[in-house]
Amino acid sequence: MDAKRTPPAAQQTTRRQFIKAVGLASAAVALPTFIPATALGRAGAVAPSERIVVGGIGLGNQGHGDFGGFLGSSDVQYVAVCDVRKNVRDGAKREVDERYKSKDCAAYNDFRQLLARDDIDAVHVATPDHWHTIIATEACRHGKDVFCQKPETLTLREGPLMVECARRYARVFSGGSQRVLEDYRGTVNMCWGGKLGRVLSINVQTSNLSHACNLPPEPVPEGFDWEMWLGPAPWAPYNAKRCAGDFNTRENAWRAYWDYSGGDITDWGAHHFGGATFAVDVREFQPQEIVYNAPEADKPAYLEFVYPNGIRITHCKPGKANMEVDSNENETRPPKPVPGYKGKGGIIGDFLYCVRTREKPFRDIGFAVNTMSLCHLGTIAYRLERSLKWDAAKLTFPGDMEANRFIDRARRQPWQL
Amino acid sequence: MLDEAFEALKTYDWGMDPKVLAPIDQAVVKTHNDPAARKDLESRLLAVLQSQAPRDAKDYVCRQLRTIGTAASVPALEALLAEAELSHMARYALERIPEPQAGQALQRQLSKLSGNLKIGVISSLGVRDQAASAARSVALLRGLLQDPDDAVARAAALALGDIASEGADKALASARPRPALAAVFADASMSCAEKLLAAGHAREAKGTYQRLLKNNPPELVRLAAQRGLKACQPGAL
Repeated sequence: MDAKRTPPAAQQTTRRQFIKAVGLASAAVALPTFIPATALGRAGAVAPSERIVVGGIGLGNQGHGDFGGFLGSSDVQYVAVCDVRKNVRDGAKREVDERYKSKDCAAYNDFRQLLARDDIDAVHVATPDHWHTIIATEACRHGKDVFCQKPETLTLREGPLMVECARRYARVFSGGSQRVLEDYRGTVNMCWGGKLGRVLSINVQTSNLSHACNLPPEPVPEGFDWEMWLGPAPWAPYNAKRCAGDFNTRENAWRAYWDYSGGDITDWGAHHFGGATFAVDVREFQPQEIVYNAPEADKPAYLEFVYPNGIRITHCKPGKANMEVDSNENETRPPKPVPGYKGKGGIIGDFLYCVRTREKPFRDIGFAVNTMSLCHLGTIAYRLERSLKWDAAKLTFPGDMEANRFIDRARRQPWQL
Repeated sequence: MLDEAFEALKTYDWGMDPKVLAPIDQAVVKTHNDPAARKDLESRLLAVLQSQAPRDAKDYVCRQLRTIGTAASVPALEALLAEAELSHMARYALERIPEPQAGQALQRQLSKLSGNLKIGVISSLGVRDQAASAARSVALLRGLLQDPDDAVARAAALALGDIASEGADKALASARPRPALAAVFADASMSCAEKLLAAGHAREAKGTYQRLLKNNPPELVRLAAQRGLKACQPGAL
């Protein structure tokens, strides 16, 4: 199905008008949001004209996993794929066409062409991290709902821009960490259930930060748009290992390199810190202080993130396991209901459900950005080897001109947020 | 060790092990409270930047100047803004150097550049968002809103949306965007209105949303402006 073969205008307008007209119930843009539960075909089979029209941007590795999740949903009409590697986008197009027994799926090298299509309701984005914010904010400006893989941001400045853009256009915007809910449910249930009493701290374990990449030039493979892959990142010569999309965060893959990723602290940190902030219920906040504990003879450096309510999230604290909670069991706490996914089908199902109902998804971009702030703040503290104060509302390290330089990085022209 | 690293930097090129430069990386961190050592480090980096060193070496220098560069680095960085290969990395440093000279260098070069290099400088001016120089940047960007190059006009509008001052809002209000740019101009205006509203200037924000609604905007903008207008009502926030 391409732009010329969209469903009948009246049906399409009904669905799209609804999706675009009803905002998320955020404080800044509050509108009445009465949602008739049966109005959008949620019960039973979904008519093609009422399916959510989806396109995908960045379809290798994790992106291909997301692609399969969306394509396999009966709630979705998948119409367009985008990747800077011709073989990847052609392969994805083939899969879409095989599913629908047609040749209608459009394949794009440039995400802007996909976003310009009026018939697309939602996009999923799984490019390397340095592209996320540019693509996601542009998608919001085009009225698309967004499912963006973690780590959602590469810098601290990108976070609030993503949230502002999503709220401005009342977009449903979900981050992409399925592990926050699915891997740490036991810890979450103990904390929220009151069994642990007053929670004091939780520890997160990740390994390395990203680092410089100086691999030698190699010929650019045919069909690979290297300039577009680099996009806003500093120019560098093509090397297959520089842009490899496997999940190695240490070496020979883009997740290991500073220009494209924060390394393990952002890649796994997006999961672990997401789980930790959920477990100790600080998803709506960012820390106000990052305490850097210098390495000692047999102990590596570690961090403590201090929240305004006194809760601490530690990172790599010696002797502590991942997601290990410290609490005072003598101070009882009443149990509270644990939020979870809406709809069916995990985190993608949650997103699709929210596209219809205009509710906030489980990993709403606001929560995701707060999680990512821990990853980025931690990276800066480790790099500068010192403690930091953080004012999230003003997006600044008060009185610390040097740390403030790390809040963002200039994007290669012509890319701009 | 540091001397050896600077020697290696003179010929640093893609394919060399970045560990040879680790002593410079470490010196940047360790000199945090040592202005004299920082000044010396900056001078040595600038010497490489102004030499015939390979592009990769100069790229590395700009990355370090992003962290330790001062006004002393600005002339050498400004000289690179017109060089296609190094303009971005010059901005990589200039955009994050807090001294006003860095912003002034970007402002000076704006009229001398065209195409993508100009767009890059425009975006950096928007990001720097310094109170001391924002008024001058706003005036310069305002003049680009009617640029015949759509990409330049778009970049100027987004940069004004980044600055998001009352002056930026007025500059956008005075512009008459071509149809293809109407949505992005409206987006920038709403960015300004949101900042004005957050700063307690509800009347000005309301004026911006009302202006947008008067111009028969696309549906997406109309709905966003209506939500913004609603948020301007007393007690809405």
